[in-house]
Amino acid sequence: MTSHRRQRSRTPIRLLPAALVAALVLAGCSGAPPERGAAAGDAPPLVIHAIDAGSFQEDFNPFHLEGVNLGSTGMIYETLEFINKLKPGESTPWLATGHEWSDKGKTLTLTLRQGVKWTDGTPFTADDVAFTFDTLKKHPELNTAALDLKGTTVLAPDKVEIDFGSTSYAKLYNITGNRPIVAKHLFEKENPVTFTNPKPVGTGPYMLSSFSSQLYEMKKNPAYWQPGKPVVPTLRFPAYTANAVQTGLQQGEIDWAGAFVPDIDKIYVQGQPETNKYYFPPEGLVSLYLNLTKPAFAKPEVRQAISLAVDRDRIVKVAERGYTTVAHPSGVSMPGGDAYLPPEHKDAAYSVDVEKAKQLLQQSGVESSELSFTLLVPSPFTDWVNAAQLIREDLAKIGIKVETRGVAFQDWVSKVGKGTYDMTIRGTPGGPTPYLTLRTLLDGGLAKPVGTSTSGNYERWKDGETDRLIADYTATDDQAAQERAVQGLGKIMVEKVPVLPLFYSPSWAQYRTDKYVGWPSEQDPYAMPSPYTSPDAAVVLLHLRPAGT
Amino acid sequence: MRFLARRLGFYLLTAWAAVTLNFLIPRLMPGDPVDLLVARLKGNVDPAAIDAMKRAFGISDAGVWQQYLDYLGNLLHGELGRSITFFPAEVSTIIAGSLPWTIGLVGVATLLSYLLGTFLGVIVAWKRGSWLDGVLPATTFMHAVPYFWVALALVFVFGVTLRWFPVSRAYGLDVMPAFDGPFVSSVLYHAALPAITIVIASMADRILGMRNVMVTTLGEDYVVMAEAKGLTSRRVMWAYAARNAILPNITSFALSLGFVVGGSVLTEIVFSYPGIGSMLLKGVENEDFPLMQGIFLVISLAVLAANLLADLAYVVLDPRTRQEA
Repeated sequence: MTSHRRQRSRTPIRLLPAALVAALVLAGCSGAPPERGAAAGDAPPLVIHAIDAGSFQEDFNPFHLEGVNLGSTGMIYETLEFINKLKPGESTPWLATGHEWSDKGKTLTLTLRQGVKWTDGTPFTADDVAFTFDTLKKHPELNTAALDLKGTTVLAPDKVEIDFGSTSYAKLYNITGNRPIVAKHLFEKENPVTFTNPKPVGTGPYMLSSFSSQLYEMKKNPAYWQPGKPVVPTLRFPAYTANAVQTGLQQGEIDWAGAFVPDIDKIYVQGQPETNKYYFPPEGLVSLYLNLTKPAFAKPEVRQAISLAVDRDRIVKVAERGYTTVAHPSGVSMPGGDAYLPPEHKDAAYSVDVEKAKQLLQQSGVESSELSFTLLVPSPFTDWVNAAQLIREDLAKIGIKVETRGVAFQDWVSKVGKGTYDMTIRGTPGGPTPYLTLRTLLDGGLAKPVGTSTSGNYERWKDGETDRLIADYTATDDQAAQERAVQGLGKIMVEKVPVLPLFYSPSWAQYRTDKYVGWPSEQDPYAMPSPYTSPDAAVVLLHLRPAGT
Repeated sequence: MRFLARRLGFYLLTAWAAVTLNFLIPRLMPGDPVDLLVARLKGNVDPAAIDAMKRAFGISDAGVWQQYLDYLGNLLHGELGRSITFFPAEVSTIIAGSLPWTIGLVGVATLLSYLLGTFLGVIVAWKRGSWLDGVLPATTFMHAVPYFWVALALVFVFGVTLRWFPVSRAYGLDVMPAFDGPFVSSVLYHAALPAITIVIASMADRILGMRNVMVTTLGEDYVVMAEAKGLTSRRVMWAYAARNAILPNITSFALSLGFVVGGSVLTEIVFSYPGIGSMLLKGVENEDFPLMQGIFLVISLAVLAANLLADLAYVVLDPRTRQEA
C-alpha cells in the first residue's frame, strides 16, 4: 500500500534543486560533522524522513493512499501478517496467528492473536477484521488492491472468515500483508473515505502524541502486545522537502531516511562509514519497453539484437551511479528470488555482443530504413534520461537510429499507458514474490488496444503460454507450483524477450547507527529498510536496540 | 464615484475571466489525473476502484460545460473541493494552512524591500553625481541575477558554511506551534534568511525605479521653484520631488502586494518553506486540479484586490484622477 510512494517521491522538481543544493553542499563541505551520540540516561528519539513533503496534512486514516501520513500503517495500525519482500516466501504471524485457504482459494479463514488491545483499552477482535474488509467492499474507491470481496463471517472472537468471488491465492499479500486493520468501534461512526482520523487508535507499537504541519511525533505504546518492545521511545517525523533532506542528512539531523542522495558517499557518509550506513535493496524492475504493435519490434530477432547491443553495466555505472545492479534476464528480483529462477537459465547474465546483434538484425529481414525509433523518457527522471542517451549510443553501433525525447511526466504516463510510443523506459513494482512484477509486465489481459490506457503490459505482449502460466500461479497456494509458474514466465522473458530488463530500482534507505543498531542489511534482509515502506518500517523499529548493546 | 463604479464593473469582468481561465488552464495540461493516479498506484488497481476513486475525488467524465457550471456553482458556495494529492483534505483547509506563512514571509519582505528601496532610490537620485552613483551598477547587477541564484548563494554562505541561519522549514523542530516566546522567535529566526534574500533580490528594482522617476521629477519647474524659494533641501527632496515621484512606485507596490499571495515559489522551494508556493508546486506535480484551481483563484483574486487598492490609492493621492471623474 505504500510502494507507490516512491514513485511519487520521484516526481519532477525533485532532482533539480536537490542537485543544486547538493552541489553547493559538496563544494563547501567543511568535513566537520556535528557532534552526536546517544545521550546518557534516556533513550534518544529517532528522527525519520519518510517522504518529501513541505508540510503535513493531519490525516492518519490508513484507508487513504495519498494523503495519509507515514507511520499510520505499521506503527499505529497493524497488518494480519508481515510478509518480507526481500525473502520471497517468508512471512511472520502478526495480528493473525495463522491463515487457511479453502473452497479453491475463495475462502480465507484467519485465526487472530488474543490479548491484543487498541490503545483506548478496547480488545481487538474478529469484528475489527471483518469490519475492515467489509469497509473495502462497501467503498470500492478504497479497494485499490482490487480484492474480489464477497463478504465476511465472524466465527468466534478470534476467528474470521473472508469470502471472495474468485480464486484469490495470489492476493494474499494484499489481504494479510499490507491491509492495516482498523477499530470497528471508532471507524463505524465515520465515513472512511473522507475521515481524516486526527486521533488514531491502533494496536501498533506507537501512538501519535503530537501533530503540527512541520512535525509529528509518536510515543511508544506502553501496552504493546510484544513484551519489552519497542525500545525506541519516541519517533519524530519532520517535514523535509527533497532538497532540505540533503542538508538534513549532511548535517546529521536525520537518523533514518528514504531519500535519493546524489553522490551519497560525499554528502552523507562523509568519512563516518562506521555510523552512516545505507542499504539499497531491489524494490522493482526498470526495463526497456519496445512497443510490440510496431512491425519491427514484433520480430523477436530485433528485440534480441537490441538486448545484445545495450550495455547494461555501463547504464548502471554511469546513469544510476552504481546504486543498483543489472537485472537478471528473467526479470526475477535478485538476490532473494533464487527459487523462482528458471533452472535452465539460472546463470544467465547479460553480455554485449555487437556482431551477433547485427547478424540477428539481418536475419530478421527488417529493412535498415525501418530501424529508426523515438525513445520516450520522462524528463524529470534524469537518471533515465542519461540511460536513454547511453542506449541511443549502443544501438547506433548496430545501425538502429534512436532519437531520445524527454517529455513531461504527465505526458509520458499518458503516452505509455495508451501505447502511442516506440520505445520507453519504465519501472515495474516488486511484490512479495517475483510473480507480481512478471504479471504486470506480461499479462495478456492488460494488453489493451493502442489508444486505450492500460495499467501494465505497456509493450502489449499477447501470448497463450504466458497467460496460462499466470492462471496457473493464481490457481494455487502451493509454493512449489507457484515457483514453477514464475520459472515459466522467467523462461519466456529470457527466450522471447517481450521486454528488456535493465536494472533493479532500488529502495532508498539511509540510517545511522550511533543511537540505535539492528537495522536491516544485505547480510540480514529481514524487512525492506526504507522508512516509506509499510508495514516494514515498523518491523525495523521493533528490531532496533540502543547502540553499544 | 462614476470612476469607481466603472472600475468595479471592470474588476467584476476581470474576475469572471480569471475564474474561467482558472477552470480551463489545468485542463489544457497533457495527460489526465486518472492516468497519473494509476501510475502512482503502480497499476495494481481494479477498474471498478478507479471509477469509484474518480467519483470520490470529484473527477467527472461530464462534458466541459457541465463541469464548468458545477465549478461556478461550487465557487458561489465557497467550496473549492478536495485535494487529490492530500485527499481527503479540503483545498480550503490546505490554503488556510499555507497562506499565512507566505503572507507573513513574502508580505513583510515585500514591505521592507519597498520601504528600503524607495528610500535609497530617493537618496541616490538626490545625491546623483556623488559616490552614491556607484550603487547603480550593483543594483543593475542584482536586478539581472536570477533570484534563486542569490538565494542559493546566501544559503550556502550563511546557512551551510557559517551556520548562522537555519536553511529550511518555517520553525524549529524543538517547538510546537503556539503563541509563545520560543515559537515566535523560532519563526522569526527561520524567516530571516529567506526574507533577506527576497529583500536583496527585489530591492534593486525599487531603487532603480524610484531613482529614475525622481531624477525626472527633479527637473520639473516646481522643484526648481521650491529650491529658488530657499526651502531646505530635505523639504524639497521629500515634500516636492519624492511625493510626486512616488506615484508609479505605489502602483508597483500595490501590484506586488497582489503577487505576495502567489508567493515566491522559488523562495519557498529553496528554503522548504511551507507556504502557498510549495503547495502550488505539489499540486502541479500531481495534476491536482482542485488544489491548483483553488490556489490560482486565491492568487487572481488577490491581484485584483491589490489593483483595486492601487486605484483607490491613486484617487486619494492624485487629485487629477478625481477631477476627471
